[in-house]
Amino acid sequence: MIRLSNVSHSYGVEQVVDDVSLDVEPGEVVAVIGPSGVGKTTLLRTMALFLEPDAGTVALDGDAVWDAAEDERLALRRRIGMVFQEASLFDASVARNVEYGLRVRQDWRERIREQLRSLAGSTNPAAAVEDALEVVGLADKLDQQARSLSGGEAQRVSFARALAYEPSYLLLDEPTSDLDPRNTGLIEEAVFEARDRGIGVVVATHDMHQAERVADRVGVLLGDGFTEVGPTERIFDDPSDERTRKFISGELVY
Amino acid sequence: MPIESAVPLLLDNPFQRGYVPSIVYVSLYVSVIAVTLSTLVSLPIGLVMGFTQFPGKQFVKSVINTGMGFPSVVVGLMVLFAVSNQGPLGALDLIFTKQAMIISQFVLATPPITAISLAAITGVDENVRDAARALGGTRLDVALVVIKEARYGIATAVLAGFGRAISEVGSVLIVGGNITSADGISKTRTLTTAIQLEARQGRYETAMVLGAVLVTIVLLVNAIVVRLGETGAMNR
Ligand SMILES: Nc1ncnc2c1ncn2[C@@H]1O[C@H](COP(=O)(O)OP(=O)(O)O)[C@@H](O)[C@H]1O
Ligand SMILES: [Mg+2]
Repeated sequence: MIRLSNVSHSYGVEQVVDDVSLDVEPGEVVAVIGPSGVGKTTLLRTMALFLEPDAGTVALDGDAVWDAAEDERLALRRRIGMVFQEASLFDASVARNVEYGLRVRQDWRERIREQLRSLAGSTNPAAAVEDALEVVGLADKLDQQARSLSGGEAQRVSFARALAYEPSYLLLDEPTSDLDPRNTGLIEEAVFEARDRGIGVVVATHDMHQAERVADRVGVLLGDGFTEVGPTERIFDDPSDERTRKFISGELVY
Repeated sequence: MPIESAVPLLLDNPFQRGYVPSIVYVSLYVSVIAVTLSTLVSLPIGLVMGFTQFPGKQFVKSVINTGMGFPSVVVGLMVLFAVSNQGPLGALDLIFTKQAMIISQFVLATPPITAISLAAITGVDENVRDAARALGGTRLDVALVVIKEARYGIATAVLAGFGRAISEVGSVLIVGGNITSADGISKTRTLTTAIQLEARQGRYETAMVLGAVLVTIVLLVNAIVVRLGETGAMNR
């Protein structure tokens, strides 16, 4: 479980999140919805152990992350995958991109041997690489250069890249905000596949319909914290908080 | 001098046997080693300058910028002093050696290589760095990704540094001494210092031939730089 407890963060004087708590369990999809600029990315970067919050604690399966030594924190961070809003692929082949997470987890001798092998032109991608690309429907693009992919394909490769090393948790920051419906659908199917594999998935999105489609639970981020967190159906059908209701019904315009 | 009279010169080989190859060898030897060392120093500096804030960063930046325009004869003079008997490296007995030339070429090539590499490194998309970290990369992994992403710019930097080193005459003349051994084989004579000597002695033809060799090497390197620049631009 990723557990955020009473987390606050500010950039300079601007308080972005204040006293936020959230649990994410393995095998569930949690959507964080809220308008642009409310702090979704900040919250995800905190969960990805990228950002040390000003106050509060972040724990992964009971281990307080920021009390741990740096190498322990690296080990904890390696159990989490994050997909950014922009695909930001490496300037290399699709296979090399998706392999990356596996590669950095190998020891140096293995890595150098593999590097030499790839220079010699014999690439033999790991089964996990092909499998991850299969999940996003791009198994046939293994050898293509990342820069020649379409935006939607790049984002799907970016998803596969985070899935390949089998993280326990997967954080997706507005993964489909720039995508067409078909690619959006493929990413959402991949989210279900990840959940079925027991991965805890967090999707930050400003698209309420997407949250309704994919999430088991929804956290509504308004102002500097969650107005409420609960089962998707309940949040959408019967929000208990007035601001949540207004946001969901579109009355609350930011 | 017309080209057609230069060609027979090369063919007739007016120089002592092995003279020209030994000069080319010394030029390449000194420049390649100096540029390799400069690159090994420049990349870490570029990475640190690119991604971290530290006190004195602005100062380092101005040292690099000053270094780019630093007169090579002055560098030569300083290295000559350093390796002379009274200098801090005097005990190593490096005066008028290739090693001394490597030191001065290193001092000359490092600032441009660092500056161009730094520009390439800071040009790497921050999202790509974040991705490397998010995928489980250590600091070293992230640095390697950045170098890989900046590879075309870094290659340009290295080749530009090489171009500066191999064309340079002032400092190698001062610290190397433009020496050949008794059998006429170059010890510390480079293409540039040989040209200078031939020209001074009025042997314009031989100076021109050596000049042609130097220009060929430099043009070749420049062609590679341009080519890399195009490949890099294409990849953006
Ligand atoms: N690195 C940063 N430095 C300063 N302000 C930031 C930084 N990142 C985000 N912010 C600010 O924090 C607020 C929340 O940003 P963000 O977490 O990106 O929101 P969201 O992802 O919901 O759009 C915004 O007002 C944004 O301008
Ligand atoms: Mg965001």
